[in-house]
Amino acid sequence: MIQQAGRRFFLLCEAAFDAAFGPRINPFYHLGALSFFLFWTVVASGVYLYIFFETSIGGAYRSVEQLTHAQWYLGGVARSLHRYASDAMVIVVLLHLAREFVLDRYRGVRWYAWLTGVLLLWLLYASGIGGYWLVWDRLAQYIAIVTSEWFDALAIFGEPIARNFLNSATVNDRFFSLLSFVHLGAPLFLLLGMWIHIQRISRARTNPPRPIVIGTLLALTALALVHPALSQGPADLDTVIGTIAPDWFYLPLYPLIDLWSPRGVWWLVFGGTLLLALLPWLPRRREAPAAVVSLANCNGCGRCFADCPYSAVILQPRSDGLPFESQAAVELDLCTGCGICVGACPTATPFRRVGELIPGIDMPALTTADLRAQILAAAANLSGDGRLLVFGCHGGPDLSSYRDQGVATLTLPCVGALPPSFVDLVISRRHADGVLLAGCVAGDCYQRLGVEWTEQRIAGQRDPYLRRRVPRERLAAVWAGPAGDARLAREIAAFRERLRALGRYRPGAAVTPVSSSTHPPEADDDAYRMG
Amino acid sequence: MLKNIFRYFAQAVFYGLFVAVIGYFSSAPAYVHFPADMALIKASFSHAGQPKEECRVRTAEELAQLPPNMRVPMLCGRERSPVTFELELDGKPVYRAELPPSGLSRDGVSTVYQRFPVAAGRHHLRARLRDYSAGSRIGPPKAGPERESARGEPQGGGEHSVRVPDFNYSKEADVELAPAQVFVVEFSSRGGGFVFK
Amino acid sequence: MTLIEWDEKYSVGIAAVDYEHRELIGLVNETNARLMQTGGKPAVMEFLGEILARISAHFALEEKIMLARNYDRYDAHKADHERLLDGIRDIMDDYEDDEYFGEEQFAQRLQEWFGEHFRTHDARLHRQLD
Repeated sequence: MIQQAGRRFFLLCEAAFDAAFGPRINPFYHLGALSFFLFWTVVASGVYLYIFFETSIGGAYRSVEQLTHAQWYLGGVARSLHRYASDAMVIVVLLHLAREFVLDRYRGVRWYAWLTGVLLLWLLYASGIGGYWLVWDRLAQYIAIVTSEWFDALAIFGEPIARNFLNSATVNDRFFSLLSFVHLGAPLFLLLGMWIHIQRISRARTNPPRPIVIGTLLALTALALVHPALSQGPADLDTVIGTIAPDWFYLPLYPLIDLWSPRGVWWLVFGGTLLLALLPWLPRRREAPAAVVSLANCNGCGRCFADCPYSAVILQPRSDGLPFESQAAVELDLCTGCGICVGACPTATPFRRVGELIPGIDMPALTTADLRAQILAAAANLSGDGRLLVFGCHGGPDLSSYRDQGVATLTLPCVGALPPSFVDLVISRRHADGVLLAGCVAGDCYQRLGVEWTEQRIAGQRDPYLRRRVPRERLAAVWAGPAGDARLAREIAAFRERLRALGRYRPGAAVTPVSSSTHPPEADDDAYRMG
Repeated sequence: MLKNIFRYFAQAVFYGLFVAVIGYFSSAPAYVHFPADMALIKASFSHAGQPKEECRVRTAEELAQLPPNMRVPMLCGRERSPVTFELELDGKPVYRAELPPSGLSRDGVSTVYQRFPVAAGRHHLRARLRDYSAGSRIGPPKAGPERESARGEPQGGGEHSVRVPDFNYSKEADVELAPAQVFVVEFSSRGGGFVFK
Repeated sequence: MTLIEWDEKYSVGIAAVDYEHRELIGLVNETNARLMQTGGKPAVMEFLGEILARISAHFALEEKIMLARNYDRYDAHKADHERLLDGIRDIMDDYEDDEYFGEEQFAQRLQEWFGEHFRTHDARLHRQLD
C-alpha cells in the first residue's frame, strides 16, 4: 500500500524528469551512482579544506573563518561545496532508499544490498555530524553538547562524556585531534561500506552520466557562490546556545532530543534501523526458480557469465569429463531468475533439433522449449496484415489489453532473456511480419542490464549478435516502462503500418546494415551508455 | 531545436529546485534550543566515595592460604560508598540522589551530570555531598582545608559507632546569573570541596 | 558417404576445439546422409538446427580462447564466424523453402561452408597459437 503510493509518486516525478533529461540520463535512474559522485565531491573539497584546518580549539574556528572569507573564491567555495554536496548526498541517498523500496528491489536475492545500505546510513550521518563539529562555532557547540548528552543516555561510559563540554575550561586541544580523526575515519568506513554495498551486482554503476555530473557540479557551485556556507559565531561553552540554525539534513533528530528525551530518540533510531533492516523479510519474497545448467549442452563459452547482472553465474572447472576447460554454474543465493543468461546462451536457439531443445543454461519457469511452443501457438492465431509478435517483460507496459487478431503478446521475466535467434525465427520463418520488444524504461531496467544487452545484441555489438540477415526494419524496441501503456499502443499502431507497407518477408531483400539501431524514432539520442 | 531549449530550461529548473532546497534547509529554519532570557546551571562532578570497609591486617592463617606471591598483609575492601548529593535552589531542593560507584566491583567514581534551566537573575544555591554511607565503619575523612557549612557538623573521631549520616561537604552562595550564562557546580576533593563557577 | 573426413592435420592443438570440430564434422556428414534419403527432409532440418546450435556454441568458445590468448587476427576470424552463421541460416531457410538446386549441389554447398573456414582461419589459428 505504501509501495503503491510511493510508486505513483516516483512515476510522476520520473515522467517529468524524463521529459527534461531523457530516459537514459534521468537522474532518478542513477541515484546510487549520483551518491557516489557526491561522495567524491565531498572528499575532494574536504581534502582541500583540511590543508588549511587547524586542529585546536582556538585555531579551528579561526582557520575556517579565514578560508571562508579571505579565500572566498576557492576555499570558501570548497567549504560550501563540501557542505552542500553532503546535504545533497543525504537527499539522494534517501531517495535511492525509498525508490528501491517502492520498486520492490530489496527483497529476495537483493536483501544484501538493502541491508548494507541501511547500515551505511549510520556512517553517513556520523560523517556529516562529525564535520559540523569540527568548525567549533555555535552550531558545533550545540551539536557537541547535545550529542554527548544523547550518548550519555546509553550509560556505556564510566563518566558522562558531556563533562567534556561543561564549560570553557574543560575542552582541550587533544579532544580536537580526536574529533578530526573521527571525521576522517567515518567517511573512510563509509567508503568501505559503499564498496561492500555493490558487491553482489555486476558492473555496478558508480559514475552517473556525464551530463548529470556536469549539471550537478555546476548547480552546487552556483549555490556555493550565491549562498556561501558560513559559521555561526565562535563556540563559547560559558554561554548556553539559545537559537541556532541547524543543518536539517543531518540534524533533524536533534531537537527531538530536547523535546522528547535522549532515551526516546535512541529507541526511535534503533527501532527505525531494526525495522528497515528487517524489511526484506517482512514478508519474504519467493524468487523465481534459479537458472539450471545442462552440462551436455554447455561448453564453458562464458557468455552467460559475462551477461549476468548479479554475478550469479560463475565458471567452474569441468566436472563431467568432456574436454572443455570450464562449465557454467549458478549460485542459487544470487540468482533472481531474470533469464538474461539464457538470452546470452549460444545453444538457446529455437530451430528444430535432434532430440529435445535444451540449451546450456535454462530457466525452469519458462524453458526455451516452452517459449518456442508458446511462440508457435501465438503465431498460429495471427492473421491479416502487419502481424506482430510483442515480447514484453515484468517491468514493462501491461500487455494484457491487446486482443487484436494481428497482435500476439508474450511475457518474459526480462526482455534480455530473449535469445536473438528467436527474433530470427519469428521473422525469417514468417511466423509474424514483425517483432516488437516492450520493456522497461531505457535507463531503468528492473533487472539492471536487460535493455542494454538487448540493444547491443541487436546492434551487433554484443554476443550473441542478432543475425545481420534479419531485416531490422521488422524489429522495434519500445522502452516504455510500466507507465507507458499509451505510448506502447501508439508505437504498435505505427509499427504495424510500416509492416503492412513492407509486405511479406522475402530473404535477400535489402538487408539493413548492422550499424542501424533499433531505437524507436522518439527515443533520445543522449549518448549515455551504462556500465 | 525548440525541443532542446525546452529541455535545457526544464533541466535548469529541476537543478535550481534541488539546490534551492539544499540551500534553504542547510541553515533554516532556526531552532530555539534554550530560551534567551534564562540561564543554565550544570551540576557535574566525578568523585569516588570512601571505601566501605576499613583496611585491616590479614591474620597469619589467611596469609598462609594465599599463594606466596600474593601475601600482602593489608586487605582493603574495594567497594566504595555511594555519594549522596543534594542541590537546593532558592531554598527548595531541586535534586537529590545517591550516586552509585561505577564499575563491576563498585569501586569506581560516582558521577553526576544534571542541567537546571533557571530564570536569569539572583539565586541562592546550596550544594551538599556525603561520600560515606550510614552503616559503614569508616567515618568522614579528616577535616579538609575548607569546610564552610551551614549546619550539621559531623562528629569527629574514628569510633565504631553508627553515626547519624550527615553531609561532610557543603557550600552555599548567592549568585547573579546573566541570561544565557552557564553556571557550573563542580566538586573536586583535591580542591577541597564544591566549586561554583 | 562421408562428406568431410577428419584428419589429424586439422587439429588446432586445443582439445576442446578439436572435439567440437570432430562433432561438427560428424553432424555435417549425418546431414548429408539424411539428404540423400527420400522423405528425409524433417531429419535434415533437425540436423541443420543441431549444427546451428553446436556451431554457435563452438564459435563462442573459440572466440573466448582467442581473446584469452590475444590472438592477433581476432576481428577477421570473428567476422568470418558471423558470415558462417548467416550462411548456415541461409542454408536452413533455403532448404526449408525448397529453394535449392539438387542434393549434390546442396551437399557441396554444405561442405564448402564448413571446409573453407576450417582450411583458412582455423589453420592459421593453429599456427599462431603454437
